[in-house]
Amino acid sequence: MTDHELEEFERQLRQTKPARLPETFTARLLAAEPEPSAQVVSEPVAPAFPDYLRTLRLSLRWLIPATAMAVAVMMAWHGSLPSARRLPGAGATPATMKADDVKIDQRMVSSFDAVARLPGGEPVRFRCESWVDQITLSDKSRGLVVENSRPRLEVVPVGFETY
Amino acid sequence: MNSGYHNETCVRSDWEPWLVQHAPRLLLFARQQTRCEADAQDVVQEAVVECWHRRMDNVPPAAGLLFATIRRRAIDLGRSTDRRAGRESVVAGAIPEVWFDEGVEERERSQLIQTAMNQLPENYREVVTLKVWGELTFIEIAEVLAIPANTAASRYRYGLVELRKLTTGIFP
Repeated sequence: MTDHELEEFERQLRQTKPARLPETFTARLLAAEPEPSAQVVSEPVAPAFPDYLRTLRLSLRWLIPATAMAVAVMMAWHGSLPSARRLPGAGATPATMKADDVKIDQRMVSSFDAVARLPGGEPVRFRCESWVDQITLSDKSRGLVVENSRPRLEVVPVGFETY
Repeated sequence: MNSGYHNETCVRSDWEPWLVQHAPRLLLFARQQTRCEADAQDVVQEAVVECWHRRMDNVPPAAGLLFATIRRRAIDLGRSTDRRAGRESVVAGAIPEVWFDEGVEERERSQLIQTAMNQLPENYREVVTLKVWGELTFIEIAEVLAIPANTAASRYRYGLVELRKLTTGIFP
């Protein structure tokens, strides 16, 4: 069939109308008419809040996220500053301290020998010496004295033939 | 949509003329989607009332929405048909289904078209009905049947060709 024949056939079909509604069904449909109150769907709805509260709500809707975003940006920016990269506790020691006197001291606290045996049964002797290393920095202009002490243990094996 | 179902604003008093104008084609489609006259009438009434409730700005519901609602409700109804088979058989026997208007000189032709339509595959029949008597566009038919518009167009063409073969006696 050509398009023209199809259109002509469609026109002929349209001449046959759908059957009329049965009277009982027409009566049913007429009785089922929705109530007017149910038909009005798009009537303007009264606002639940006064105008100024509504404006405030709309403002807060954007203000709160904007504030949070601004704080986050400021924190990120502040974190990128050189002054913020100082190590924790670095602020306790003045960065401009200049030591005018440095003392390094080593004190032997104790010394003793320990005797043991190797797995082959050969005796071996260890000389154990306990030391304390101390460093003292002084800044007389600012009246600062910084002392740092650190214990140290030296163990030296000593052969019996050396005795 | 250019089917003319919703190009005017309706008020409450327009309910009756709107029904008189559009309900016959809705019932025609519903009769093909359901198994008996009673179900078809129930489906049309429920669909029209549902769509009328959901309309906006006093504009009558769109044709596509009406046909889609009828189809959806018919499918839902078909799933529960078995439970009501006894009642339907009684009702179907009591009310003869007549799809098309039967004037004095058109009775034979109407009955032949109905017989031919009944012999069409369902997917062709519903497209032909929506296009010829529902006056929907292929895009609207595609929305109603949830198929591509091209599929609707091809089904329509095949359906018309088949229907032409089945009605050579009245459309030589």
